[in-house]
Formats: sequence, C-alpha cells, structure tokens
Amino acid sequence: MLTPWLFGFVLMWLIPMIISIYYSLTDFNLLNTPSFIGLDNYVRAFTGDATFWQALKVTFIYVFFLVPLRLAFALFVAMLLNKDHRGLGLYRTLYYIPSIIGGSIAVSIVWKQIFGNQGVAMTLLGAFGIEQKTSFLGNTHTALGVIILMGVWQFGSSMLIFLSALKQIPGSLYESAMVDGAKPWKVFTKITLPMLTPTIFFNLILQIVNGFRVFTESYVITDGGPLDSTLSYVLYMYRRAFTYFDMGYSCALAWILVAIIGVFTVVLFKTQGSWVHYEAGRE
Amino acid sequence: MKRHEKFKRILPAALAGVMVLSMAGCGSDGKTGDAASGDAQPAAAGTDGTQAADVPADDQASADGENVVIKMTWWGGQTRHDQTQAVCDLYTSLHPNVTFELSPSGWDGYFDKLSTQTASGSMPDIVQMDYLYLTTYAKNNSLADLQEFIDNGTIDVSGIDENLLQTGSVDGKMAAMVLSTSLLNVGYNPAVLQEAGVEEPTSDWTWNDFVAMCETIQSKTDKYGVSMDSVADTNIFNYWVRQQGGSLFSDDNKSLGYEDDKVFVDFVTMWNDLMGKEAMPDPDEYAQIATLGQEAGPVVTGDAGAIIEWNNYASKVSTVNDSIKMVTPPLAEGSDTKGLWMKPGMFFAIAEKSTVKQEAAEFINWFINSDEANDIMMAERGTPVSSAVRQHLIDSGNLGEQQIAMFEGVEAAAALCGETPAPDPAGISEVNEAFKKAANSVYYGQASAEDAAAAFREEANAILARNN
Amino acid sequence: MGMHKKKTIHSVMFHVGACLLGFVMIYPLLWLLASSFKSNDTMFLNPYSLIPEVWDAAKNYASGLEGVGGVPFWRFLLNSFEVTIVGMVGCVLSSLFAAYAFARIRFRFGNFWFGCVMMTMMIPAQVMVVPQYIILKKLNLIDTKVALVLPWVFGGAFFIFLMVQFFQGIPRELDEAAEIDGCGRISTLFRILVPVVQPAIITSSIFAFYWIWQDFFQPLIFISSPENFTIPLALNMYLDPDSYNNYGGLFAMSVISLIPIIIFFIIFQRYLVEGIAMDGIKG
Repeated sequence: MLTPWLFGFVLMWLIPMIISIYYSLTDFNLLNTPSFIGLDNYVRAFTGDATFWQALKVTFIYVFFLVPLRLAFALFVAMLLNKDHRGLGLYRTLYYIPSIIGGSIAVSIVWKQIFGNQGVAMTLLGAFGIEQKTSFLGNTHTALGVIILMGVWQFGSSMLIFLSALKQIPGSLYESAMVDGAKPWKVFTKITLPMLTPTIFFNLILQIVNGFRVFTESYVITDGGPLDSTLSYVLYMYRRAFTYFDMGYSCALAWILVAIIGVFTVVLFKTQGSWVHYEAGRE
Repeated sequence: MKRHEKFKRILPAALAGVMVLSMAGCGSDGKTGDAASGDAQPAAAGTDGTQAADVPADDQASADGENVVIKMTWWGGQTRHDQTQAVCDLYTSLHPNVTFELSPSGWDGYFDKLSTQTASGSMPDIVQMDYLYLTTYAKNNSLADLQEFIDNGTIDVSGIDENLLQTGSVDGKMAAMVLSTSLLNVGYNPAVLQEAGVEEPTSDWTWNDFVAMCETIQSKTDKYGVSMDSVADTNIFNYWVRQQGGSLFSDDNKSLGYEDDKVFVDFVTMWNDLMGKEAMPDPDEYAQIATLGQEAGPVVTGDAGAIIEWNNYASKVSTVNDSIKMVTPPLAEGSDTKGLWMKPGMFFAIAEKSTVKQEAAEFINWFINSDEANDIMMAERGTPVSSAVRQHLIDSGNLGEQQIAMFEGVEAAAALCGETPAPDPAGISEVNEAFKKAANSVYYGQASAEDAAAAFREEANAILARNN
Repeated sequence: MGMHKKKTIHSVMFHVGACLLGFVMIYPLLWLLASSFKSNDTMFLNPYSLIPEVWDAAKNYASGLEGVGGVPFWRFLLNSFEVTIVGMVGCVLSSLFAAYAFARIRFRFGNFWFGCVMMTMMIPAQVMVVPQYIILKKLNLIDTKVALVLPWVFGGAFFIFLMVQFFQGIPRELDEAAEIDGCGRISTLFRILVPVVQPAIITSSIFAFYWIWQDFFQPLIFISSPENFTIPLALNMYLDPDSYNNYGGLFAMSVISLIPIIIFFIIFQRYLVEGIAMDGIKG
C-alpha cells in the first residue's frame, strides 16, 4: 500500500534531501563545484549573520499571531456554514476564493492599494480623525501586521478542512444531545470540539509548518521591506540561494528551519494524547 | 438490499479506478512522445558536452551546411518574445541548416532557472545576460571567451565603442557581447516645469540646479519636484562617487573604492532634505506610486517634474505621454570629473559547454550588425551598440520621435562620458540590498547619515570580501 | 409566529453578514475582472474604480488568447489541464493508499516513515529544486510534462496526513467487522472506508487541483519550451519590469485561468455537504 508513495519519496525527496544536506556542508554558489567546508555554514548563520536573526524573528512573530487567528476564524466560519441556510454553496465559494487567487499579481496590487500610502485603510482612519504620516505597509511596526492579516484573509483551506470534519460528526450524537436538552454552547464544547480535535490537531500542525515556510506574501507584497521588517525566513533563504549565489549556505538555512519546525511538530505529537480524541483509539 | 447499497458505494470507486488506469495510459503515451522529442535534441543536453567535444565543434563552420540546433533563452515582455521569435525565424530562412530551440521568459525567475541549469551543466547555448550577474557567471567559467570569434572575424565589432565593448570583459576574457547601451538621464515633464516657471535644464546643469528646480516646483505647484527611488540600486550613487573622483569599488573588488564616508553622507542627505521639503516622495509614498507601473508614474501624468532614469524612459512611456524630454544628469559643483559612462544594457553570452559556439557567434554577429534583424527589433532591447545600425534605423524613418532623440542623445553624451568602470563585482545584488537598507534607515529617521554610511561600509566590505 | 419571526431576523442577519464578508473576500477578484476590461492606458489612472472608463475588453481578451511567442493560449490551457488532472488523480489515490497503511496497518518502522512524510512537508521547496532538476535530467525528463506530474503523482505529505487524521476518526470495529466478513484490505478500503472519508478525499482533490494548477516554481525550473508551458509560466512571460507591459492581456488571461479552478470548486464543494454521514453505516 505504501509502495507508490515510497517510490516517489525516494526519487523526488529522499535523494534530493541527501544532496541538499551535502550542499549545506559545502561552499557552493550553483556555478562552481561544491567544496566541502564542514559545519562552517551553520556556524556562520548563528554567529555572523544579523539578517538571519531578523528573518527568524519576523517568522516567529508571524507564526505566533497567524496560526491562532486563522484557525479560530476558519472554525468560526465553518460552524456558521455548517447550518442549514440558503446559498451556502455560494458563500463557501466566495470564502475560498482568496486561497485560490493566492499570490497572484492582482492580489498584490490590490493589497498594496488598500494598505499603502493614500490607500483605503488610511482614508478610513482619517475619516475617524486618526491622521497618519506613513502607511501600514510603509511603517516598520505595522507592515508585518498587514502580512499577517493577509494570511488570515486566506483562511479558506482551513475552513474547508473544518467543514469536511464537521460533516463527519455523526448526526445521532447531536440528536441525543437535543433530546437531553443541552444548550448550544454545551453541545459545542462537549460534542463538536472533542470530535474535531483530530482536525484541529491536523490544522495546527499544518498551519505551523506552513507558517514557518511563509514566502509568497512577503515576496509579493513588500519584498521583505521596509528595512527587513517583513523579511520572512524562507524569503531570505531564497535570496541567499538564487540572488546572492549562496546555495550552500541557503541549504544550511533550510535544514535549520526543518529542525525548528521539527521540534514544534514532535512536541505537538507528544502532547496530542492528552487532548486529541481519536475514535479509533491510539496504540 | 444491503448488497445493493454496497454496490452503489463501490461503483464510484470502481469508476475512479478505471479513470486512473486510462489516465495512466495517457501519461505513459505522453512520456514516450516527449522522450522521443527529447532524443531529437542535440547531445549538448547531455553531460558529455564537455571539454573534448568543444574543439571539433569549432572547426565545423556552419558554411558546411551541417544541421545545428541553437538553444537560446532571454527575458522580456510580450513584444520582445514575438520579435525575437520572428528574428530567429528569419535567420533560419537565411541559413536553413540552423534551427532554434527558444525559451522566452519573464524577468521573474529567469536567473533562478539559469543558475539551476548551469549547476547541472545544461546552460542554453546563447543566453541573454545582465550586468548584475555577468561577473559571477564569468568568474565561474560558465561563459565562453568570445575574443577568439572577434579575432577570427566572426563577430564584427568595428561599429561598437571600445569602452562599451570592454564592459563584457571579465578578468581578461570577453565573457559576453554587449547588445545595447543605456545612459543615466533625467526625464522631465516640460509642462510641469513651465507651470512652475522653471527653465528646462541643459546638459551643463549641476546638482544645485537640480535641487533648486525640485524645490521650486514643489513651492510653486505643490507637486513633487522629483519622483523616484534614489536607492533602488547603486547606479546613481556610483555616478555620484565617480563625480567626486572616486570609484564605487576598489580595483580588486574586495572593498568599497571611496575612502571618505562624506560621499555617502552628502548623497543621502541631499535626497533626505528633498523628502523633508515634500519635493520628493518618501520611500513609503514611492512604494505606492511604484505599484501602478511606470506608465502611470507621476512624471508621466504631470504630477511630478522629473525622474532620474535610463535614457530609454521617454520612448518607453511615449504611448501614454509623448511630451517627456530627457537630459543628461547634473554635474558636480565646480568639478569637471566625468562621472557619466556608457552603461551596457543587455548582453548575449555563449555557454562554455556549448557545442555550437561558432554557429552561435555567427548568429550574434548577425543579430548585432544586420539591418534586417534590427528592422524587426526596432531597438526594443535598448539603443543598439552598432553606430551603423543606429544610423540605419534613423534613416529608415520607422523610429518614433523619442527613439530618435534617444539615439542622438547617446552620440551627444559621448563628450560627457568618462572611462567605463569595470563590470560590477560578484555579490553586487547583495551590496545593492545593503545600500538600500542603509539609505532607507536614514529616510525612515532610524539612523543618522553618518551611522548609515558606516554600516553600509562595514556590510558591503564583508560581502565583497566573501564574494571576490 | 414569534418564533418564526425570530428565525427570519436571524436569517437576514446571517445573510447580510455573510455577504459583507463575501465582498471583502472577493474584492481582488472583482478588481481583476474589472481591470481585464479596462484599456491599457487608463488602467492605472483610476485604479480603485471597478467600472472601466474606457472599455477595451475585446482587445485585452483577444491579445491574451493570442498567446506568446507563436504559441496560442489554449495550448497553455491544455497543458495545465493534462498536468493537473493526471497529477491530482495520482496524488489523491497514492495518498489514500499510504494513509490507509499508516492508519490501519502495523509495519516495521511505521513511525519512522511517517516522520519522513512530515519531513517532506517541512523542507522548503526552494532548496529541493536544484537536486530534483539534476535527477530529472538524469532520467531525461527535463522539459517534459512528466517532470511536472512526477512530484505529485506519488502522493503528498499534506494529503497523507489529512487522510490519516480522518481514518483515525473512524471506529476500528468498522473495518475489523469487514475483515471478519472476509474482505481483503483493498476491498475494505474502497467499500467501507472510502465512503466514510469521502469529505477528506473531496477536500484533497480540491487542494491538489489548485495547487498543481497554480504551481509556478517547479514548472519554471523544469520546463523550457513554450509548447510545454503551463498557465502560470505563460502569465509570467507577460511581465518584464523594464519594458512596456501588456497588463490588459495579462489580466484577461488571469481571469480565464481562474475559471477552471472556480468551476471545479463549485462542483466538488457540493459533495462536501452531501458527505455520507456515518449513521448510515453504523445502522
């Protein structure tokens, strides 16, 4: 059963991973022959690269705010759309659209217009008497906030996953709760939430993994600026690899990131026994 | 009954299964088809196109009529793609033994892909190259030395300014052939200047005149005097440094070439003052302006007076506003050091591992020098390097007014041009990023100009030392 | 009566809120659509307006459909369809098998392999593309559509993880009963489990479709000939910061390229709603 995946894994992932680990131990600019330099790239990241720490900081802040906000919002909307209303299919489609058009040029232009100088956001604040000199995207303190907001805006995928999980909860559970006369909040905390924990767990892991790998938003909207205040880790890694011809170092950065995400994932997997509820039971 | 229920559930799955099988059939058909066309490609794609194969390839001139395929790649917009396709078709009709495999690309991702191809030894035969990356590719021996093709007469460079030609030379090797030239210029909107009662600048103006003009426009019309990103890259700063008699990079490219940080401080302070007086958009305001593209920029729409740009600016925006004029950038006060230089626009380079170097060189020669190729391209890649071609295009009467002014501007500016600096060092894009960051920290009020100058020096020196 | 009225008010409030949110979600798409109708010269003069001042829809769409460099636009569209459909079907099936194996079959190093699945999700694609290119070149697959399908067709970490989570939400007695009845693994999977995890399969298909459809970086690196370009590559060919950009044509093509994803989503999201409730099987 595992064979197709295993085949693809070895070919497209395992071998490239080994190669990239090797690159991370070399001085490799893509055009030369890689020369082995041991752990120098890793040492350089931790001791001699201020931008590395800046990118790490930006990414941690991003993940810290984005993940809970996006999940809460996605769950909230999914619950709303799980009711019996007319036109739900339309709303589902509308809400999913931001995730589809993702990092396209149209989105980038529109977001820059809304949150840029003289944009809608500034005009609105101005109407409330709050005058600002710099725009949200032009301010080193708020630009990352706009990027996070954009991430929340693209909550469609998480919403879909929640929706399909809500559909999977047996209706009989709710029926018996109704018979017992349970209040909606109680139904939510005693039935819906526990039954959703595997999906919440999944979404949590997924959003953390994807959050740490955020690239498109900061690449398309701000290109890391102003003054590196939205420079995400992967954007920096990408620049190192292809703009600065520093592939060896870039691979080292990639593996440092894998280690960081790995720690978060392992911790979550270890703790899931205490809060994630599986029908099938865990062995 | 129950059985029936189960069947209903199996059916979709079974259908899906059949679908997959038929898909898989499609997939493998496609595969064999593609593999077959893959075989038709020359051996150049393989790893075997190394040293030994090069030598005999050079001997087979295409006059033998041997069939060759030249792989070529470039970046550009739709116009360039269509024109280049047409030029290559024309070449094939003149030389039926030469056919092309073309990969056009947008600017985004062009160099990501090129470096990946180079890493695995499959760089296309002819690649369009940018000044930004030329040194890096040349230093890593990815590009063929074109000097031998110049020496044996395959590529005729007699119409090309010697200084300009040498911009393709790295470490004594002619790594790339320059296709077009550009100059720093100031583009201005005459209507805005008139509204402010400012006289149109002439080529003998100075930075003081420039600043005064911007401030007058602001105070008289409440418009921006100048609207641009002064630190998008190091080109304007490079011009500034050269006017002070220095050079941006040291001869060995391992450090910055100017000694006194005052150069940087003065430069950044000038722009910062203009922003303070609202005579110029700050980086935040400019980011918003830049979103809308050059054709909707304030100079074009009459909301700003001037912009420092490349000399093709007026011709580029002429579809929207055909009244924009160009002038050479301001001179340094009381100094006659020639800061301006003929900047190469784009290059063609030939891959070191190419097996069709001779044929590729013949094509490049035709591309640069022939009237028929340039009649199709109409200087879309910038002012052609060959003076004969420039004259031919002017005579043909097909050029727009702005293009003719641009060509004449190139001839006129020659008197103001100093020696062309050596190609930008490896690591230049990282230096540009550090420069942008340092200058912007001043514009955002987060650092003094002196601190920014010191920070830039430290960072740039580290980058240059690591890369060169 | 009062009860009925309250319900109506609720319903109106729901729809007003849902529509407002919907507008925020869909605004960039409307903007894209409006811009694709505007003439190139006036497009950015009044960028906020959703109503074109100068209509140029016919010219924009005609120039978009013309394609680039002698290759018509429908060719790109066809390529995208081929790659996306083969990739999606393969991806969902392979992932289904792998997920079933991870969730239900005990085998040696199971946790290790699952760790590998997670790892492929963590490593940024930007550093994998060079090694992958080298492998594909060794297999003589560069510049073929097979190269575009290969990374997907053997399943993906995201899908495997998603389906494992869903499988674990199903009581184990369900398939144990089937196995006692004499069902083999394959038939247990397809007869018993697939109907129950249908929402996950639909969700995966939707994600796979649009991820493959809008994938830019891998096609960029793996494909050279315009005849093999997918839509995102074709769109990128329109953009060069230094030359005159045909934004009208670009936006027109963007609109056309979004239609298939939206249609696909509209069709398949219905099955999310109609996902088979587990009660039916239990009873």
